[in-house]
Order: sequence, then structure tokens, then C-alpha cells
Amino acid sequence: MSGSRSDLDTCAREPIHVPGAIQPHGSLLVLDPDGLALLWASANFEGITGRTPIELLRSVEAGLRDWQATGTHTYRTRLQHPDLDMAAHVHQGRLIVEFERSTPVFQNELLFRLTGFAQQMTATEELGNALSATACLIADLTGFDRALVYRFDPDWNGHVVAEAGNGTLPSYLGLRFPAADIPAQARNLYSLNRIRLIPDANYIPVPLTAFGEQRDAGGIDMTFTQLRSVSPIHLEYMRNMGTLSSMSISVMVDGKLWGLLSCHSRNPHRVPSDIREACDFAVQSLAMRISADSRAETAALGVELARVHTGLLAAMAQAGRWDEGLAGAPAALLELTRSHGATILSQESFLPVGEVPEEHHVRRLVSRLSQHGAATDFYFTDSIASEFPQDEGFTDGTCGVLALRISEVEDSWLIWFRQEVVKAVTWGGNPHKVVQESGRIHPRKSFEAWREMVRGRSAPWHPAEIAAARDLRSSIVEIVLKKAEQLARLAADLQKSNRELEAFSYSISHDLRAPFRHIVGFSQLLTEREKNLGERSRHYLQMISDSALAAGELVDDLLTFSHLGRAAISADKVDMNKLVAEVRRGLAEETAGRSIVWQVDHLPVATGDATLLRQVWYNLIDNAVKYTRQREEAHIKISANATDDGVLYRIADNGVGFDMAYKSKLFGVFQRLQRSEDFEGTGIGLALIKRIVERHGGSVDAMGKIDEGACFTFSLPALPEE
Amino acid sequence: MPELRPILLVEDNPRDLELTLTALEKCQIANDIVVARDGAEALDFLYLSGSHAGRDAGDPAVVLLDLKLPKVDGLEVLEKVKRDENLRHVPIVMLTSSREEQDLVKSYELGVNAFVVKPVEFNQFFKAIQDLGVFWALLNEPPPKLRQVGGN
Repeated sequence: MSGSRSDLDTCAREPIHVPGAIQPHGSLLVLDPDGLALLWASANFEGITGRTPIELLRSVEAGLRDWQATGTHTYRTRLQHPDLDMAAHVHQGRLIVEFERSTPVFQNELLFRLTGFAQQMTATEELGNALSATACLIADLTGFDRALVYRFDPDWNGHVVAEAGNGTLPSYLGLRFPAADIPAQARNLYSLNRIRLIPDANYIPVPLTAFGEQRDAGGIDMTFTQLRSVSPIHLEYMRNMGTLSSMSISVMVDGKLWGLLSCHSRNPHRVPSDIREACDFAVQSLAMRISADSRAETAALGVELARVHTGLLAAMAQAGRWDEGLAGAPAALLELTRSHGATILSQESFLPVGEVPEEHHVRRLVSRLSQHGAATDFYFTDSIASEFPQDEGFTDGTCGVLALRISEVEDSWLIWFRQEVVKAVTWGGNPHKVVQESGRIHPRKSFEAWREMVRGRSAPWHPAEIAAARDLRSSIVEIVLKKAEQLARLAADLQKSNRELEAFSYSISHDLRAPFRHIVGFSQLLTEREKNLGERSRHYLQMISDSALAAGELVDDLLTFSHLGRAAISADKVDMNKLVAEVRRGLAEETAGRSIVWQVDHLPVATGDATLLRQVWYNLIDNAVKYTRQREEAHIKISANATDDGVLYRIADNGVGFDMAYKSKLFGVFQRLQRSEDFEGTGIGLALIKRIVERHGGSVDAMGKIDEGACFTFSLPALPEE
Repeated sequence: MPELRPILLVEDNPRDLELTLTALEKCQIANDIVVARDGAEALDFLYLSGSHAGRDAGDPAVVLLDLKLPKVDGLEVLEKVKRDENLRHVPIVMLTSSREEQDLVKSYELGVNAFVVKPVEFNQFFKAIQDLGVFWALLNEPPPKLRQVGGN
């Protein structure tokens, strides 16, 4: 491979636009554009034109001045006596005038042929037909042995895509030629000056003779000069190919060099300038056709991809999250860029769809792209290995990468992958082989077809696919922004309703408690005042008082419960032994006169909110005391053991127990498994326990059997989540 | 024996008022009970203005102040009294229906002397009121600066 690189370099350094000489089939004058003073003339001037430079200059001077006044780039005219085709242009401060002997051409026939060709160009559907038709017309008009349509790939390798000829020269159809065959500065010249003609590769270059003071003709820039003498390397290349004459016309599509119309003959061959102009016209018609085709193709693909894009938008809208939406529509996601795989990647997540390289490979790629800075929000290649040669490539055959950075803050990416496409390429000669003779590199002498498998490349990304990817990025960014706005609005709404809820519970706590207090107070006063009330009346008054009291407690419990949702939980070390002891002392009134056997093990320290944990123990122990009321001897056992992620506290009793079938209802608000006349209570106690424990990051559980007892457990994590 | 200063009871709810008065009666405190039905009236009493412009001078032994009151609410009365050079020594007990954290915090910030949540259970309620009356009217030694009844 290294040989072809130096081959290219050697050619690329040759300053082909300033050869200091011309080809011998015409002659040339170099003038000062202001005063039309004669600076140089080609040494063959009188031989071609039959006049001295001064004589001829005098006869064309007026025409040149008229043309200069128009400001157009080139001036072409046909002179008579002598019959000459003249072309003039100004470049780099020189006015260059070229002369060729004119050859009579049947203008009518030429016009007829071009009209027919133009019809063909519009009538044929296949681009391939248009290419062949052009090759045929050019071969026919010029009389060259062979005309090729030579197309450049993105790496500037040439590919012969159409051919016409008389069979004298071998067919090159389908062959590829390495980029080094036409070096960069030659391609650059081709873009500027569309037509080149070499009637005889064995020509002897004609030097330029200076008029007046002596100057170096090597400084004349002949970029736009038709007669420019070409590189000796190129002439050697032509001889190697077995062609002594050639002409090429650039196919410029949308301002870019798409390819060449390249003509050759085995023997020297000259083409009159009229025919050359007609060929140029035909080739530019072809260029327009190519441009139109490519636009139509891009447009059709764009419409198709827009349909896919719409589907993805719908998926993202439905899913709520853009990444889940895309991952949930894998077919469309891959179709959008005609990829084999895709992934949505952020620091936390990696959502692969289809054939995706291993995560650590993808993450390395992302870090490489991030190192490049802001310019890599958008990146694509069809050969990732050649972009990052220092990295070990993807091992799954992925070569093509199209990466979009969605958010720089979150470092989230959407990346598509394409698998390798192994292409069989038939080269016109081994492109890697370099012939070296006495220190100078020569072009290849062998043009035998040479097949090579091209590896490490995916199908290239089409501009419409790249545009679709960009569009999707905009949509995602829009969705993300919209989502952020919605969230902000939602947060504001929640804050508002939280405030309303707080105001509500405040007024409940204040206004609802008072009437219950009044009912209790006045029934009590009435009982005390009316000493003569009957047993039944006293009972009724007691019922009124008890009910109001219960309702008051209910309000208190509900408030505590709702308060828990918003109260901050502190995280202190809490001595659970102390809490249990305190609660037991607090229940002294209820346990008085009862026979209760307590077994309280040593309990590990908990981390949490002491007040709330005391509430947990209070409710649990109060329940145990309450539900063992009917036992002659109650047993209540409190214990704990360490678990993998914290401590499990346990309280077991031998009370009335409960039916495990209703276990799911146990911890719900207002759920009671006992009749309220048997056991008093608001029905909130266990719900409160559950809420407190869950706010601490733990969980609650219960086991029981009717008439045998119940066991409640709650776990607390070693470190609370908040 | 120190002169008996009145107890100022500020309560808008007639039922609460009746219950509280009954409770105070039962603990046999000799102090007068002055009732104000809203914050504005309470301030009138303390400042000897409005309907209380002609009353005998002297500060109450204690103000039992309900938190939610018409016109001027309990917190405003508290704030005004505690910011007043001449009145700040008057003990104020906040009596409220609920233990709402923000009220508690605010009251102590403003310098309340005690904060009592009225219990729903009658015996507890009675006990609380009686305890308050006995403590503030009898046990508590007022600061010397407290203006005496009939003083200047």
C-alpha cells in the first residue's frame, strides 16, 4: 500500500499547470492584457498560422479589444485567410490567445445529431442508457477508437460505467482505476477547464519564445489553456495503455467533478474545435440528467424517510420518553437510516436495537467523539476502522457509524450502525503495485484486470439518510424541551395543590376537632349534672360521648397519616429498646390488671425518625395488648434480627389473630378485620405503620392464624434512602 | 397575699367558651375571668381602649388566647403584646384546637409562654384548663414589672 501513496505524492507534486510549453497542434500568444503588448509566442507560430505573431496580432487586435469590453471569460472566433480557430482568455494577469487550424464541419448535421441526443437524454428512464448514449455519440462525433464514461467514487477511484468504441482498443467497461491515476491537482484542473485534448502522446513540446526582454515562460499559468503541454508521466501512462491520442471532457454535476468522458485512440487523432464544443454540450446535457436523477432519488428517499420519521415521532409521543419510544419502534428506527443496528446511549443506559457492537466498544467510540469537542454533535463514516486506526475495531462486523449527540449535558447519543459490505472490485491493474525505475516512479505498465475484495466498509450514508437523522435529532431535542416544560408546569401544579391540601388539612384539624370536643364535654357535663338519670339514659350519654371521642381520634389519626406524606424524615440513631420500654410504660393503664408475659429481646439500634418509630411501636404494641385481651395469660414477644440489608423487627402475640385470606387488607386505610364493638380503633393504625416504615425505606409484613395469634414484622434498611 | 389579677380568656366559639368557663369555675380560682370574643376586643382590654377604656388599670395574670379568632387572630395579638415594652411581661398561653406545626413554631418565635392543644376528651380538657388556671393564676410568680391592679 505504501508504494501507491508515494506514487500519488510524486505525481501530485508536479506543477502541471505551468509547463512552460504547449502541444504542437496549435500555436499560442501571451499578451499583456492592458496594452496587448506581445510577451511570448510559441516557437511554432508561423508554422501553424502562416503569419508572424506581430502580423496576426495586428489583425485580431480590434476583436480582442471588443471582447475585453464585454467582460466575458473566453472569446472564441473563426478567422479567415488564414483559416484559424482562435480562443482567448485572461488568467493570472496574462492574455493568452490560442490558434488551431480550422477544419470544415457540417454544422447542420452536427445540430441534427445533438437534437436527437437531447431527445434520447429525456426519453430514457435508466441513467445507464443515458451514459451509454453519451459514450456512443462522443465516439461517433470524434472518431476516437473508444469513449468511456468514467465515474469517481468518494475516494476518487475511477469506475468505467459506460463505453462505446470500434473495438480497436480493449474494453475497460466495469474496471476501476485507483485515485492515484488522476492526481488531485489534475482533477482540480479538470474542474476548472472542462476539455483536454492530446492528439499525439509522442509529441515534442513546443517552447515559448519571449519578445522584448527575456522572461521565463515557466511562470505562465496555463490552467485554462487548451494547448497546455501535459505531464510526461501522463504521456507515459498513455503509452502504457496503448493509446497515442486522448481527449477528456469533465462531467460537472452541481459544481462538483462527477466523472469524465474519456476518449482514446490507438493512433494519433485530432478533433476539430467545433466537434469538441459539440461534445462538451452533450456531456453537460448528461451532467444535467445525472443531477436531475440524483435529486429525484434524494427527493423520493426523503419522502419515504419522512414517513418513517412521522412513525417515530408518534412512537416517541406515545411512550412519553423519547428513548423508550425509539427503542419501542425498532423497525422504523433502523429503516430511517437503513441501518443494521442502533443504540440509544447515556451515562446510565444502553438501549441496543438490532445488530449493535459490544457496549464497551460503543462507549469508547463515544469518548473518542467527545474528545473532538462540539463539532462532533453529528458524525458519520462508512469505515470506522480507518477513522480511528489506533483502536481495535468493532468485532461484530460493524463498519458504518452515524452518531448524533442528543444532549451534551446528559451526554446522550443516538447511534446507528451498518455492517461491512464486502465488495468485489475489478481494478484496471493492481493498484497497489508500483513500478520503480532508476529512482523514479512510473505509472503501472500492466492493465490486466485485477480483482480485489474491499473490506472494512459499509454502504455509504446517503445524503437523504443523513438529513433524516438530523431531522430526527431536531425532533428529539424539541420533545425533550417540551417534556421539560411540561414537567416544570406539572411541578408548579403539584406545588399549588400541595399548598391547597395543607390549607385543607389545617382547617380540618382546627374546625373538625372542636365540635367533637364540644359533644364530649357537654355530654359529660350533663351526666354529672343530672344525678337522677336512669341507667339507660346514662348509657346513651356514654355512647354519644364515646362516638364523638372516637371521631376526634379518627381526625387526629388521619391528620398524622396525611402529614406523613410531606413531613421530612430525620435520620438519627434510635435506641429501639428505649422506645419499646417507653411505649410499654405509656400503656400501663391498659395493661393494669392483665396477666401479660412479656419477652423483649435486645433490639439493634435503628436509623430514622424517633417520633415516627415510636408511633410504629406504639401501634404494634397497643394492638398486641388489645387483641390478647381475651386471653387469661397473654404472651407478647418482641425480637429482632439482622438481615442482609438492615434489621427485621418482630412482635408476636397469642391473641385473636386474623385470617391470612384477608392479609392484603390488613395495611389499608380504614380496613378492619375485627368488628369495632369487639375491638376499638380507627382502622388507620396499621396503614400508618406501613407508611412510616416505607418512608424509612423499609417494608412491613404480617402472619396470623385465627384464635392463635399474630406476628407483625417491619424491616428498616441499615441506611435510609433519604 | 398578692392582689388577684383577672384572667383574660379570648375565645370566639361560644361552646368552647362555656366549656372553658365551666372548667375554670370548677377549679375554684378566685380570680375574675374577663372574656374577649375576638382579638380586637382582647387588645382593647390590654390597652384600656374601646369598650374597655374605662376599666380598672392593671394587667391580667394570664391571657388564655385562642389561635383562630375573628378580626385580629391569636398570632397577631401575641405578636403585638410581645413587641410592646409595657405588655411583653404578660404571660400568654396559646389555646388551640390542633397541634399544627407551623402555628407552634410561629408562636414560640413570637415569644408565647405556653402552647396547649385542647384535648377532645372532656376530663383531659378540664384537667388542662384547671392546671393552666392554677399554675398561672396562683403558682406562677409574676415579674415585678407587671402593672398592679389599681396602679398607675
